[in-house]
Amino acid sequence: MSSDARQAILSSIRSHLSASVPDDNPELKVHSIETGKEIEQVRKGGLPPLSDRRGQAPLSDLFSPCSNVSLVELFKENLEAVNGRCIIVNSDTDIADALTRIITDLKAQRLAISDNPEVERLLNLTDLEIEELGVAPDAHDIFHFDVGITTVQAAIAETGTLVLDSASERHRLVSLVPPVHIALVNASMICTTVGEALTLLRKEKEISPAVTFITGPSRTADIELTLTVGVHGPQELYVIVNGST
Amino acid sequence: MNHLSSETFRENARAALQDVHLRGALKNATSLFGERRKQAAANLPNWEDLRNQARAIKDDALLHLDRYLEEFERNAESRGAKVHWARDAAEANSIIVRLGIDRQARTVVKSKSMTTEETHLNTALEAAGMQVVETDLGEYIIQLAEETPSHIIAPAIHKTRRQISELFTAELGMPPTDDIAQMTRTARATLRDRFAAADVGVSGVNFGVAETGTIVIVENEGNIRLTTSLPPIHIAVMGIEKVIPRFADLDVFLKLLPRSGTGQRLTTYQSFITGVKRASTDEGPEELHIVLLDNGRSRMLDHPLTRQSLACIRCGACLNACPVYQQIGGHAYGSVYPGPIGAVITPQLMGIEKTSQLPYASSLCGACREVCPVKIDIPRLLLHLRAEIAPRKGGIAERLAFKTWARIMTSPALYRLSSAAGRIVQRVIPISRAWTKGRDMRPIESKSFHDLWNE
Repeated sequence: MSSDARQAILSSIRSHLSASVPDDNPELKVHSIETGKEIEQVRKGGLPPLSDRRGQAPLSDLFSPCSNVSLVELFKENLEAVNGRCIIVNSDTDIADALTRIITDLKAQRLAISDNPEVERLLNLTDLEIEELGVAPDAHDIFHFDVGITTVQAAIAETGTLVLDSASERHRLVSLVPPVHIALVNASMICTTVGEALTLLRKEKEISPAVTFITGPSRTADIELTLTVGVHGPQELYVIVNGST
Repeated sequence: MNHLSSETFRENARAALQDVHLRGALKNATSLFGERRKQAAANLPNWEDLRNQARAIKDDALLHLDRYLEEFERNAESRGAKVHWARDAAEANSIIVRLGIDRQARTVVKSKSMTTEETHLNTALEAAGMQVVETDLGEYIIQLAEETPSHIIAPAIHKTRRQISELFTAELGMPPTDDIAQMTRTARATLRDRFAAADVGVSGVNFGVAETGTIVIVENEGNIRLTTSLPPIHIAVMGIEKVIPRFADLDVFLKLLPRSGTGQRLTTYQSFITGVKRASTDEGPEELHIVLLDNGRSRMLDHPLTRQSLACIRCGACLNACPVYQQIGGHAYGSVYPGPIGAVITPQLMGIEKTSQLPYASSLCGACREVCPVKIDIPRLLLHLRAEIAPRKGGIAERLAFKTWARIMTSPALYRLSSAAGRIVQRVIPISRAWTKGRDMRPIESKSFHDLWNE
């Protein structure tokens, strides 16, 4: 049935496109970002093959690796504007102190961490007494943890966004299910724009099965348009940025 | 206020105008979203360029829709997804029901999807014995209340906090409260159990990238991430017009969509899903099924005007800007897609027989066109649809009236005679009540411009 449907839909698309008439309204003519010329409104036989057009694909921002100090400040400002908390530190000891303070204040007992060994190493530098530690718990176990701690693969300064790539680290559930998410970020991972982050992802040989952009704690305004922070995702988001890298 | 029909749009609208609470809620929502959109757009120096680029990308995608869909299918399947094709709502629903039955699914969690509202998927799944749980807070509220969405990005704006508190007390056993944070926590706690028990997750799709086979879904609440991460099967329902050529194109749309919808620079979460996990020990679903839905869309490709409607990215900006929507809200349209874009899309998807009042649900003021992030010329589309509807309507009297009017206006003698007659007649009989109910009929002056000129 599905292959019939496939053929039927593709034929319907083709026949309706070929029946299409040119449009007489000049306002409707738009310019192609690839060629700067008007996009043809009528489909004719001789279009260049996809691969040729693909070669001209504009990458809106050229990627430049950026470890500028001001990017850290910009990232912090934008993250705080969406109710995230940002702590800028300069050493592993500072990270451990920050973790100790946050987790003690939260009175958190059960910590879920991603499988990046860096997280466990930094956690071991703290003098926290942890009741339960789960490393990348699965869908059945993840629900009873108080806090999830992960690293990230990139961050975006102009929006205060974290970029998590599930091929690099098991952090899909740890960053999502516990009510508090603590993310550890190296300043050198912060790029300027969303466009740069997209370019980085595209540069990989294969795009990871699940990439997630996170900008602040989860939120809703579904009841009387009143902003409420913390719905299905974490209610609190802490980002510890290590500026020494 | 629910399950209204488009055939009774005028009556629905009249009833909505009497609802003082509804009009207050609509005023707050549409002015807040509208103001935020305006600020967000003003903060980007190249807003107009972005709109042009977005439209150019969509036009390219639609003019080569067959090829991009094939490319999307090839790339998604090479990464382990299964792509299904559905000609109409019934076909889409039967594919999804079959997937659920084959896996003995009992609980289906859903994230907000206008496309599955269009296909009435919930009814089909429930008829097959599955329990369907809407997980977006607004959708969850209206599911509990057995209502339908009244706004495409804020489905429950028509309900007050008191109504929601009463609903949660009755349905979920929450102690009565007027604290919105408490209501939100109650929904979170209840839905956590549903997520933990879910066999299948169903989501919509904002963008499908042909070049990589990636689907992109945007949200604020985190329920989409849960829906697409926890259950062993993820089924994504995607209208065929959602395909875009390149991954890099996302930059433009991720700038325009959140700013146009809620005025945010970026929504809290963007999920980029490309196929299924590589190793069985990885996180995420075992299976990803993408259902490509036509349901009247391919038909809309055959005219440059109607084709435009397929460029819509469902941001909701035209609803907030529309003086008609601002007064009557989404339910009065009696259709899944309300507001200006709904008045354009619904007749094309469902046929104009039962929806012929919708293209008239507009003053053609053009506010929708001004705010549309992909520059859809909605007023012109409305006129196009009206032109299709007009000859089908009886309207002999109207046609005769306009013919007579044309005759009079092109003959100076007839014009003088009829305006003289009009001056007398207007004192005796009130003219057309349907016309004068909403506006005043200007009386004809006692002397014409021509007379005054001669004097």
